[in-house]
Amino acid sequence: MTDTKKRPLLFLFLILLSIVFVAPVIIVLMNSFKGQFYISSSPFDFPDEKTFAGLVNYTNGIKKIKFFSAFFYSLIITVFSVAGILFFTSMTAWYITRCKNFITTILYYMFVFSMIVPFQMVMFTMSKIANTLRLDNPLGIIAIYIGFGSGLSIFMFSGFIKSIPLEIEEAATIDGCNPIQMFFQIILPILKPTAVTVAILNTMWIWNDYLLPYLVIGNKYKTIPIAVQYLQGGYGSRDMGALMAMLVLSIIPIIIFYLSCQKHIIKGVVSGSVKG
Amino acid sequence: MKSIKKSILLISVLAISLAFTSCGFGSDDGSVNDNTGNSSADNNTSDNKDNSIYYLNFKPEVAQIYEEIAKTYKQETGVTLNVVTAASGTYEQTLKSEIAKADAPAIFQINGPKGYASWKNYCADLSDTEIYQHLTDKELAIKNDDGVYGIPYVVEGYGIIYNEKIMDEYFELDTKQTDVDSVDEINNFETLSAVVEDMTANKDKLGIDGVFASTSLKSGDDWRWHTHLANIPLYYEFLENNIDLSSDSTNEIEFSKDEGFKNIFDLYINNSTVEPKILGTKQTADSMAEFALGQCAMVQNGNWAWEQINDVSGNTVNEDDIGFLPIFIGEEGEENQGIAVGTENFLAINSQVSEEKQKLASDFLYWLYSSEKGKDYVINELGFIAPFDTFSEDEKPTDPLAREVVEWIEEDDVTNIPWNFTIFPSQNFKDEFGTALLQYVQGKKEWTDVKETVVEKWKAESK
Amino acid sequence: MQKTLKKYFAFFVLPTLTAFAVAFIIPFVMGVYLSFTEFTTVADAKWVGFSNYIKAFRDNDDFINALWFTVKFTVVSVLLINIISFLIALLLTRKIKGTNIFRTIFFMPNLIGGIVLGYIWQLIINGVLLKFGVDITFDAKYGFWGLVILMNWQMIGYMMIIYIAGIQNLPGDVLEAARIDGASGIQTLFKVTIPLLMPSITICTFLTLTNSFKMFDQNLALTGGAPGKETQMLALDIYNTFYGRIGYEGVGQAKAVIFFILVAVIAGIQLLFTRSKEVEQ
Repeated sequence: MTDTKKRPLLFLFLILLSIVFVAPVIIVLMNSFKGQFYISSSPFDFPDEKTFAGLVNYTNGIKKIKFFSAFFYSLIITVFSVAGILFFTSMTAWYITRCKNFITTILYYMFVFSMIVPFQMVMFTMSKIANTLRLDNPLGIIAIYIGFGSGLSIFMFSGFIKSIPLEIEEAATIDGCNPIQMFFQIILPILKPTAVTVAILNTMWIWNDYLLPYLVIGNKYKTIPIAVQYLQGGYGSRDMGALMAMLVLSIIPIIIFYLSCQKHIIKGVVSGSVKG
Repeated sequence: MKSIKKSILLISVLAISLAFTSCGFGSDDGSVNDNTGNSSADNNTSDNKDNSIYYLNFKPEVAQIYEEIAKTYKQETGVTLNVVTAASGTYEQTLKSEIAKADAPAIFQINGPKGYASWKNYCADLSDTEIYQHLTDKELAIKNDDGVYGIPYVVEGYGIIYNEKIMDEYFELDTKQTDVDSVDEINNFETLSAVVEDMTANKDKLGIDGVFASTSLKSGDDWRWHTHLANIPLYYEFLENNIDLSSDSTNEIEFSKDEGFKNIFDLYINNSTVEPKILGTKQTADSMAEFALGQCAMVQNGNWAWEQINDVSGNTVNEDDIGFLPIFIGEEGEENQGIAVGTENFLAINSQVSEEKQKLASDFLYWLYSSEKGKDYVINELGFIAPFDTFSEDEKPTDPLAREVVEWIEEDDVTNIPWNFTIFPSQNFKDEFGTALLQYVQGKKEWTDVKETVVEKWKAESK
Repeated sequence: MQKTLKKYFAFFVLPTLTAFAVAFIIPFVMGVYLSFTEFTTVADAKWVGFSNYIKAFRDNDDFINALWFTVKFTVVSVLLINIISFLIALLLTRKIKGTNIFRTIFFMPNLIGGIVLGYIWQLIINGVLLKFGVDITFDAKYGFWGLVILMNWQMIGYMMIIYIAGIQNLPGDVLEAARIDGASGIQTLFKVTIPLLMPSITICTFLTLTNSFKMFDQNLALTGGAPGKETQMLALDIYNTFYGRIGYEGVGQAKAVIFFILVAVIAGIQLLFTRSKEVEQ
């Protein structure tokens, strides 16, 4: 390498860049401790004696948007949807990859096709059907997520399953495994790395999703993004302080999740995109 | 270790899938056919859910009060009241997505004849309801030859709210250039603008940032101008042209009093707490906060704003120092003009929900506006001036702005302006008007363009 | 094995397929059908042929404006995001101290949801613009660049990671050979590194392209379309047409169908185009 001399400069540049990347979140954090009327007029000032508001914004915000119930809905919906997606789509992916016939081929292409269809295309009809079938509650929406998330997940699982040598399965058949045993005892463990990827991609999507849950359950059950958006005009006036505090609270779980399984996330995103 | 983890995962996954098959997919059978599924789905669940009313509330500022009302009502009658409140500016959107649902709102609100036209398939005839029997002035309701479809539940008034303390300080000033000595002497645009401009010249002495609170033009927060303010010049135009408001002759307007609109609007933005250029960032809440904190002396708004003023921490406005001035626009004979009094809040009951639910809905409304507890909420918490004869003379809201409105209503020698904006063609018209106003204050549009937009969009949206 | 498997169709496929049918297939087919009808709920749909499609373009310019805005936004975002993230990836593959920490930091914004991102940047952009006495709703160009900055902040880390993975997998001997042949750094970059990275570039352009084109949450939270509807992108325009105006449901649905076709065509062309480049080298 020829540029050893430029190293300190480069290093400095990267540090500056990091600051640019972190600053927005820090600024929001800072403002969350200011009185609500001092925020939009001077967002870059540190809170001082006059503007410091303690935890008022947090208590107000939590009360207003019922943050903990929103958090609970977000958590339940995300965890169970992702679990459901992993469980059902891995089975389906294995089946349609291994049992090739006209129907499964068509199915495969339909799943892949669904990946490029923008949500606006089905937003009304899907929420209408969800409502008719009484899926417009935090449990029912999980079924919707399994259906709508199956495209990407099946695509990724299939890609991986194709690379598993058939010999393993043939050997198992000879040993007298039926397909259900075979899938859960042999295939599922092999799928683990892909499952992590699928889980991460779907978690990122479902946790942050706004329009789908808004249209399907949004007026009665508010997830975090819906609750944050509702702060805009749902209470007669927008409380900037509460907004800042709620932004902070909604970022914290993400940061915890990210820092605790960072390696998996980055790996998952890379392998996810390579196949996508 | 690994295998333990794995088996835990597997077990939980299985448990979840079980949960699905029982609650998620289980209900699939047969009801996929959406077109006809509606009514049958309703009947299926009506057994266990019969005792609830879904109320889609229009007023975000009182959303939390309705939750208390729901609790009380549950205690009193055992009936569950589900109140959902649409975020400001999204009522029509929310109503549209909600009303198509199997569990549709039983009580919703229409904003006048235009609202009735949009939702007439869902408006039940209310002529036999108790609440209608008690409506003081039956003419206020939305009705046609067949029946009554919307009942007003609140009478409201708006004008220019002023802080008398600051006004009095001004009248005491030795540098005062006008010969006005009290707010009562301000009875036309000319006087108003003279006073305002002189106050601006003396704003440092008065300790204010501007005479008027910022003219909030953020989209969704511009209704005070494209709807409320616009009502005044259009009222005079309709009056002058003898327009029958229920006829088709409102399909086009001339906006002939646009100068009047411009007069007062310019006065607002040029004597404001902030530069006109940043008005696009301002929300109603900002304006009310400025007023509450004593940074300005006047703000155009209605009696519903009291809660907002009162809730601002550090509020400096004294209850007794607050009053309404009419919105003068420089029209001849406006000396006798009052504030704008009327309603755009009409309750409707959804004709598409089951008979029982409709009954539950009208029972609730009657309870709210006739029982002691209900009336207490209406008067003291919601602060509504309710147009029903179940309220006696002394059962009026106690907040200062509502009291002021009542005084204006009872005043004999003024003409209060009706709320004709209920016939404005559509939200889209209002939004375009608001955008044009924003561009005008930003210096990107001439006034004549604003006028043209108003006339054209009105016509286009009246189709 | 195929034969035994066949009997298990119900077990392996049916649950997913049912959910997929409910959440996608039926809504999709209904959506296409409804775009040719006038309706408020589904039950009252009346066939009107192509009139919704005509109305989408004729009634007002919203759709065309949104389309142009989206195209401009997409082009600028795709270019900026890919160039910047590629450069950062080059820097981070030079074995500098703390690479992992930098990578962690740069990727972080990608996990934050669109609505939250929108409000974070609204605060910051308005804070800066306020110093000049204006705000993001003052002019469509502020909204435009605001959205571009937001999108960059969100996507750069993501794309960077893909590029890093690509660069780390480059065959070392080829680069070495180039260096021995006396190729300059720039030459190596354009003649060797970039062609070899075509697969990563394909993925990154695809992801940024579709994400920019379909953007909704960020648009809703950051500008909401203001001023007027000037910064309204396609997805938001469709949403507002559908839910914002009574009697325009069919038009909204027709716009959605057009939107879908556009996305499909763009995705198709883009994949064909870059895939063919990959084959060439």
